Amino acid sequence: MKINKHMGFSWKTYLKRYWTLYLLLVLPIVFFVVFRYTPMAYILLAFKKNNILQPPWQVAWAKNNGFEWFIKAFNDKNFLDALRNTIVLNLLDLIIGSPMPIIMAILLNELAYPKFKRLTQTVLYLPHFLSWVIISSITLRLFATNDGLINKALGTAIPFVGTESNWRATYIILGIWKECGWNTIIYLAALTSISPELYEAAEVDGAGRLRKIWHVTLPGIRSTIIVLLIMNLGHILGSEFDRPFTLSNPLVVGASKTISIFVYERGIQGSQFSLSTAVGLFQSVVCVIFLLLSNWLAKKFGERGVW
Amino acid sequence: MKRILALVLIVAMIATLGVTSAFAADDGFVDGKFTETRHITVEIFNRNNDGGTDPTNNVWTDYLKKAMLDRYNVEVEYVSVGRWTEVDDVNNLLAIGEAPDVCYTYSGTTILNYASMGGVTDLAPYIEEYGDELGDLKALIGADNLYYDKDPATGTLYMLQGAMPNNGRITTFIRQDWLTKLGLGLPTTRQEFHDALVAFRDNAETLLGADADKMVPYTTSTDIGWRNDLMSISFVPNDITDEELYVYGYDDRHMLYPNYKEGIRELNAWYNEGLVWKDFALYTDSTEEDNMMKAGYVGAFMHNWDYPWRNGEDSIAANLVRNVGPDAMYVPIDCFENDAGITRKFLGDVVGSDRKSFIPSTCDEPLAALLYLNFISNADVIKYLQTGLEGTNYVMAEGGAYQILPATGEWVKNSGNNIDYTMTCNGLYLGDATDASTALSYPGISADLVIQANNYSKTNGRIAKHFNCGAIEAENDVGTSLTSKRDALLTKAVTAAPEAFDAEFDAGMADYLASGGQAIIDERIEKLAEVYGYNFVAK
Repeated sequence: MKINKHMGFSWKTYLKRYWTLYLLLVLPIVFFVVFRYTPMAYILLAFKKNNILQPPWQVAWAKNNGFEWFIKAFNDKNFLDALRNTIVLNLLDLIIGSPMPIIMAILLNELAYPKFKRLTQTVLYLPHFLSWVIISSITLRLFATNDGLINKALGTAIPFVGTESNWRATYIILGIWKECGWNTIIYLAALTSISPELYEAAEVDGAGRLRKIWHVTLPGIRSTIIVLLIMNLGHILGSEFDRPFTLSNPLVVGASKTISIFVYERGIQGSQFSLSTAVGLFQSVVCVIFLLLSNWLAKKFGERGVW
Repeated sequence: MKRILALVLIVAMIATLGVTSAFAADDGFVDGKFTETRHITVEIFNRNNDGGTDPTNNVWTDYLKKAMLDRYNVEVEYVSVGRWTEVDDVNNLLAIGEAPDVCYTYSGTTILNYASMGGVTDLAPYIEEYGDELGDLKALIGADNLYYDKDPATGTLYMLQGAMPNNGRITTFIRQDWLTKLGLGLPTTRQEFHDALVAFRDNAETLLGADADKMVPYTTSTDIGWRNDLMSISFVPNDITDEELYVYGYDDRHMLYPNYKEGIRELNAWYNEGLVWKDFALYTDSTEEDNMMKAGYVGAFMHNWDYPWRNGEDSIAANLVRNVGPDAMYVPIDCFENDAGITRKFLGDVVGSDRKSFIPSTCDEPLAALLYLNFISNADVIKYLQTGLEGTNYVMAEGGAYQILPATGEWVKNSGNNIDYTMTCNGLYLGDATDASTALSYPGISADLVIQANNYSKTNGRIAKHFNCGAIEAENDVGTSLTSKRDALLTKAVTAAPEAFDAEFDAGMADYLASGGQAIIDERIEKLAEVYGYNFVAK
């Protein structure tokens, strides 16, 4: 330990030297402790009898060594359906949805006329600011099987939101329409960091547009793509509430009932707090596993990963 | 000697303690009034209505506060919770130990859920001891009904039922002007109703001209259990027993009643004949449908018995006249007869099927809270809250009826007839003047029409017998998930092709039962045997 004292600085020295920075850190840390970590004590509820009137540490343990609610959930057909729907919708989002902003960003990047580019960008961002409640009601006016504007114009009766498979497609496409533009921002930022010299060098070597995109642009934003992919994989079991809830209708509940809606119906409307905490905890644990796994994989393939 | 003296002193001390604590048990409640001012908090819905007042502080609460202080020496403070988030809000308040001392909700299951967590005061001992003080409550809901929810096994009582003086539910409405135009009379049977719908469909050009393609002979919504109830239950055998009504009576949509499926099959046939609004399944709120009615495209529908007249100037009836003409109007009919040839309605009881009040266990003044419920059930208090200030809130009409006026400013009522304040009573309760006043509640609508619609909603009404079997645990488990399952199953069955109807309905029903429906039926059968010794055999 002697060596350390001579070579490094003790924490006191750091504190003395950078105390203003540490002071700056105090508030965020307090925030995290109070609003993010302290409430975690209530995760205990997942292992306790259903009771919100006492603090969970005073409540008796649930049956089966505290695992009553987990066992119950996994024996519940409705939960398993919700789990399946969540995974299906998120996977579709991941596979179809995540390449879209990349393609869009590259297309925008290739636009030569700056004013047009800026206008396009702004128009693309706009849907992000609409809530799903509004989008769902617009969707209905446009896509209703008989009264919808599109079916009226085409003289058809295509059930865009009336069968489960069609509904899934509409759900994914609407998601892309709403978020694609917004998600290009981060890629566009990454694109600006690519040195113009690389493009010039490629040009000298006789590369055309597509070659330049393939050999310069894409490698330039590769690490950004990987980071975002990892974060998306971390959400594979996470579920939005307003999107499936507002877009749903009784004909397609078999596809639209996700874990978030299950938790809402059982927990908030049905007062089953322990069960819904257990389901939430399961969701989080799986998400963390996915996050770790994909990060590890990324590193394995020579990328930096998230940490 | 000293020892004896000590003993005497000790005995005296204990005796004094006993006497004083006996006085304490008396709660300072002498001759129906507290000797010292008590303080309670009371839940009140907040509807955030345009032009409304603060629900916790307005002319009505001023009146209630003053009256409670005068009568019982109890200070009342109101706590508002969102009308449409009432259960969530009360959840939160209970969890942090700040629930109002007097709470009310429509959901009995929620109350029993709180009770199972130890969050609700058992009212049985209080009613036992202070029953004599609850005269007004007894007069409103009936003395026996105080114990409506008393658990048959444990004797605990966690809630008090409120009254719904007018228990009319649903009436069928049809466009009188269309029938007249086509030379048809008001339908009196299901067949005639169907024929009228066919006539509407086939004469769309005559009735709607350029808008012929917008013709909707009959609308329903995704809540088919409500919006097609009278037609669906006309297929339920008339001799269904009270026990069957109980066992299959989990929700008020009657879907589990025997032969209900045939009613849905009939609706499926209508749907496939093009008589029903094609896209009803996609719309989960009522705006679109209301707009079609207001625009005059809809021939007939089933809904709450006063539906076309709600919302004054923005009512369906008022809009219809504006958009189509003075003759355009919906009139009530009663035409769905069952196997015994009568137009059966299954109704909730006047007491037991509406709001329920409870007192959380965090309440320090359960007696004062109970007395509030008694006070708010007083006929004069209810009358004042429902009518208000003469000239501002109402004028007296012929025959002693109250014509309610839409007041604004400080005398505005945040809820219709102040039903949020008359916590134990949902609906006009004005003694002999009730019916005549109800008829005058809809400006611009003839009193006869209103009375007829209300009468039809109750004609041949059958009220299921109340079996007090205590809490059904299986009902706690399902939350609102069965409601959405029910709507999904009925909606899919109705919109299926006729040949796919059976498969769709049966699959949906199997899923409904597997998701908790069967467990509820089984537990009800079990409880019926346990409490009433009744051996229920499913047919």
